[in-house]
Order: sequence, then C-alpha cells, then structure tokens
Amino acid sequence: MGDYLTLGHGSGGRLTNDLVRRIAAEFPSFGSAQSFEDCAYLPGGFAVTLDGFTVSPRVFPGGDIGKLSVCGSVNDLAVRGVRPEWIALGLVLEEGVREEEILGYMRSAAGVCSELGIALVCGDTKVVPRGTADGLFVTTCATGRRVSERDLGMNALRPGDHIIVSRPFGRHGATIAAQRFGLDVPGLASDCAPLWEPASSLLDIAGLRCMRDCTRGGMGTVLCEWAEGARLGIEIRENDLPSDPDVLSVCDILGYDPLYLACEGCMVVAVGAAEAETVLSRLAAFPSCDGAADIGVATEGHPGIVGIRTAIGGHRVVDMPVGEILPRIC
Amino acid sequence: MRPHPSAEDILLTLRKYSHLPLKIMEVCGTHTVSAFRSGVRSVLPERFRLLSGPGCPVCVTSQGQIDSAVSLADIPDSVILTYGDMLRVPGSRGSLADARARGRDVRVVTSAMDALSIAASSPERHVVFLAAGFETTAPATAAMLSAASERHIDNLSVFCLHKRTPPAVRALLDDRDLGIDALILPGHVCVILGHEPFAFVAAACGRPCVVAGFSADSILLAVLDLAIQVSNGSAELHSVYPEAVRPEGNERALALLDTVFVPCDTTWRGLGRIPGSGFRLSPAFESFDAASRLGLSASEPPEPPGCRCGDILRGRITPPECPLFRNACTPTAPVGPCMVSSEGTCGAYFRFHEGRSVSWETI
Ligand code: SF4
Repeated sequence: MGDYLTLGHGSGGRLTNDLVRRIAAEFPSFGSAQSFEDCAYLPGGFAVTLDGFTVSPRVFPGGDIGKLSVCGSVNDLAVRGVRPEWIALGLVLEEGVREEEILGYMRSAAGVCSELGIALVCGDTKVVPRGTADGLFVTTCATGRRVSERDLGMNALRPGDHIIVSRPFGRHGATIAAQRFGLDVPGLASDCAPLWEPASSLLDIAGLRCMRDCTRGGMGTVLCEWAEGARLGIEIRENDLPSDPDVLSVCDILGYDPLYLACEGCMVVAVGAAEAETVLSRLAAFPSCDGAADIGVATEGHPGIVGIRTAIGGHRVVDMPVGEILPRIC
Repeated sequence: MRPHPSAEDILLTLRKYSHLPLKIMEVCGTHTVSAFRSGVRSVLPERFRLLSGPGCPVCVTSQGQIDSAVSLADIPDSVILTYGDMLRVPGSRGSLADARARGRDVRVVTSAMDALSIAASSPERHVVFLAAGFETTAPATAAMLSAASERHIDNLSVFCLHKRTPPAVRALLDDRDLGIDALILPGHVCVILGHEPFAFVAAACGRPCVVAGFSADSILLAVLDLAIQVSNGSAELHSVYPEAVRPEGNERALALLDTVFVPCDTTWRGLGRIPGSGFRLSPAFESFDAASRLGLSASEPPEPPGCRCGDILRGRITPPECPLFRNACTPTAPVGPCMVSSEGTCGAYFRFHEGRSVSWETI
C-alpha cells in the first residue's frame, strides 16, 4: 500500500517534503550546497526556478492557470532577490481541448510577462491522448539575475526578527475549494499576483533577512519550514493576523485552518526588529500588499516549533499539515 | 437574551472553581478541535480536563465498514462518493485513498445532493454514496434519497454508515469505569435532535450537561456552567447555544429521518456493538441499499493490534498513554482512525503537540 503515491504527496506539507528529499537523494550531485529553497542561485549571478501547474478548475475568480503559471515561478525568484527576466514554458495538452481555451490562458500568461518585462525565450508543446492529462499541464522555468547580494534564505533568520505577512492569507486555496465544492462566496477571489515589485522594494533594507512566497501548504507551512530549517522558534499572534472574512467562512464550512490554505501572491518577510516598520510602510505602497501586518517574532527558545497566541489569550503549536487537506464531515 | 460575556470575564469567574477536579467529556470532535485550535485547553484551570468522546464520525467507523467501502470501490464501473476525512481511514486492506491511487473512481463531495447530479450525468456507472456521520449529516442523506426515489434514479445507492449519538452516549455513561463528571453536548447534533434525546444524561445518569456552540467563548461558557453545577451538586441539562438550537430540534429534519431510516444495532470502532445506535434504510428505501444491492457480506476483522482507540473514545486514556502514539502511529502512517481524522483525538494531540511542554517566550 505504501508503494503508491497519493494526492497527499502533492499537497505541500510533510509528505511532499519527505518525497522531495527522497527524490533529491537519487542525485549524488545535489549536494547540501543546494538548500530546499524555492529557487537556486547559479554561477555568474543568475538564478533559476521551475514549477509545474495543474489546477481544477482552470479558470477561477482572480485568475486562470496561465496567469498562475507565470506568477508561481516568477514569485519564487522575486522573494530571493532575483529579477525575473526570461521564462521558458512547457505545455502538455490533452487531445480534445479547444485551442481557443489554451490561447486564452497564454494571453493571461503573456499579460503578466509584459507587466514585468519578462521575455518568453523557449517552450515545448506535447499533445497526449484523451484521458491522460487533466486538460493541460503547464510547466514554467523562470530565470533572472540577482539584484541583491544577500541570500535571503531561511538560514539568515535571527532570534528577535519580526515576521511580516504581506496580505490576508489563504485566498487562493479558499477560492479553489469553494469552486470545487460548489460554495458560492461572491467576494472571494484568488490572490494570484506577481510579487516582484513589492519584494524588490525591500531589498535595500539592511535588516532584511529572508522572504518566502506562500504557496501550497500556506503560510503555516512556510513558518514551520523556517523554524525547522533555521533551528529557531517562531511565535505569532492570532489577533494580529490579517484575515479575509470570505476565507474564514469557507474554512468554517469545510473545517480548514486558513494557516494552511494555499496562496499565490502572498509572502512572508523576516526583518530585524528595528526595521519592521520600514517594511510595513514600503509594502503599504502596493495594492497587492493591502493588509500587510507584523504578526510575530523568531525566538531562540523551542527551536523548530511554531506557536500561536490565540485570540482568547491561550496558546498552541502550529504544525506542518500532513497529507491532502480534506473537508470534514460535519 | 443576555449578552455573551467575554472570554476574559468567563475565565475570571472560572477561577473561583479552580479547586475542583473536573473531568468533562466533549462528545463532538468539532469541539475537540476547536478547544485545541482556539487555545481553550491552555487557559483552563489545571485541574480541569477535557476528554474527547466518540463524536468524530470517521473515528467510530469500524474496520469492517471501511473494508466494505473499499470493496465497493473495486466493483467495475462503480463511482464512490465520500466525505473528505473518510478517505484516509485505513481498513485491513488499505484506505479509500489507496483505492483511488490504484485507479478506482473515488470522489470527495461535501453534500449528499451531489450524488444526484453525478448519478444523472453518468447513467452507465453505478454511483455509491458513503453515507457517514451522525444526525447532522443523516438528514441530507434522507433528503437526497427522497429526491432520488421521486426522480427514479436507479444507478444510485447508499452505503449507510450513519450513527445515532444518544445511544452511544448512553452506553458510555452506563460504563461504571468511566470517570466523567460532566458532558458538553454536541451542538450540531442538538440542532437536529433538540434537547429531549439527551435528557437522560442529567436525569438518569446524574451528569450535568450543556449544549454548546463551537466558538471559544461558547465552550468556555459551557465549562463554567458545568463547574457551577458540579460545585452545587446539581445535574441539569442547560444550553449556551440558544441562537442555533431549539429545544424541540428541527422538526422537518426529524420527520425526514423518520421516513427514510429506522434505528438498528451497529458497531462502533472501539466501543463494539451498541443497540439502536445506527440507522438503516426503512423498507420504503431499501432498494437504495448498496450492501444488499451489490451483495456485500459484512465481516468485522480484528482491530489493529495495539491500537487503543476504544479506550480513547471512552475517555479512559489520553493519546500519549497509547504506546503506539507518535511511534508507530502518526498522521502520515496512522494505525487507528483517531489519528486519521482531522477531528480525531490522537490526530489533534499530535498536531497540537499536546503532552509536550513548550515554554513560549513572547506569547
Ligand atoms: S495513537 Fe494510534 S494506535 Fe494509539 S489509540 Fe491513537 S490511533 Fe490508535
């Protein structure tokens, strides 16, 4: 039974982490030099990242798979201080899908590229028999040059650093879940958006430590990975978390925890305490960072463990989710 | 209606009773998770203990029933519709998620009504709805079946796993070893059933009980009410959830349950067979019964060796007292259902690191 992959292996939490480590272990060349960050620095000041996309539904409030596929990989570069410049695109298309539908997605992808001055430099197209792909799979590989000397990976995190989130989190995950399970939540839309502009506005802040865009597994998973990776504790405050009432109502119905819902245009930033305010005031200039908030600190105590002070003044641990996030029964 | 006091005020009053040793069972898994997630557990006086009862529908589904569900998925051309958390529960031959990974058509739905449209749009397939849950989800199954019968949809059947809460609570309270002082009654179940079906808890079993909602405030208010009752030596049924629960329940839902189901004996994982604690389809709806229609033979394989879910569901032990907890049994490789479900006690203890002490610095 253990031999089959389940959808849980793809949901971004513990199972995904373990699988990725087993895959990487097959490559002796994948040394410890490459950490498990979202993009890799290459010699010559370049950086590269790769991301595959499959989403159902393919069109959702706030975006579609085309826009998503560019934002996803471009954001992986942006949060590590890399200006996205070139993109390569791979399409696996299923027999029977209408060409006009595909071109529509490509127009949204191109829209994001032109907004950021990114050039499409190569691509690949395959058509596979009906039933072997869920409409289409998109893979994007984004490359660019480092604008910041600094690493901006989780190893830079220090005790006392403030943790800032750029907007209410969980919108993408909540939007997709609402669509899939037929919940009608009129105001809810995915947060799918490029992060290069807000992220790059922070690069000259001396106390900037690390940034991460929250995707699968949500903000909670990013914090858990930081705590484990940096061997520090993290403490956040529920009362300071920016929340979106529509996301909360979806969570209420399905029994989800918004901390673990996917985002596609939301980042977490760690910064030395003295410059937390600077980060917030810079982010305030961007509509896509409406609601940015200082939510907690990194600590020396309880390394590897993330805690939250709850609204009623209690506390609890925030752990990495395991497996597919499933709606509960009642 | 008097305004709800704030969590702070409730906690302040609660301190007056902090000398009482108080074991409270919350019957419903949603209460369990909410008490963890909102931090209620961390703010209660030290001598107060919240124990989770048998109120997670996934946790109490027996292995035999999971095995049957997997066999249904193995029937060619069948489509299995299930509520989400049922997917990962291990049976003796793997879970429904494993069946899906092997290529079986297993789909997650959030509403019983989805079965109608799925059955109507794939007339060549046989659609089986795994009807799990307590009195909260049973009315939706009943409504779906009435519609299916009116519309003569016949490529649809139901594998009925529904369970009735009051007989299970009664069976627990009749157990002399059970050291429970008071109960928090399941708010959602009471929305349907009203107060009367739980009157025995106070009247016959002498335990104070409170119908509560799922917010931190509502749970705290229920705990305070119970502490006051225990300290006065009284045992009554109260409600702190009048905005949702009418004492007489939801009459339409009750009528629907009466038409579509009849009570039957059924097996609860860890608790064994409890008389009258299940629902089966009434004669008028028997033709929708998946078990008889697809010739399922029921058998109860032994429960996984070492798993103490039964003792957990009875509130006899807490998960860290199970030798498998965190060792052989984790959410990635669950041994028992209490570890699988998002509302299961063992899963909640694991996720929230209960039983490990963490000294926080700033929170
Ligand atoms: S820890 Fe695992 S094996 Fe032990 S009672 Fe809980 S579910 Fe069963």
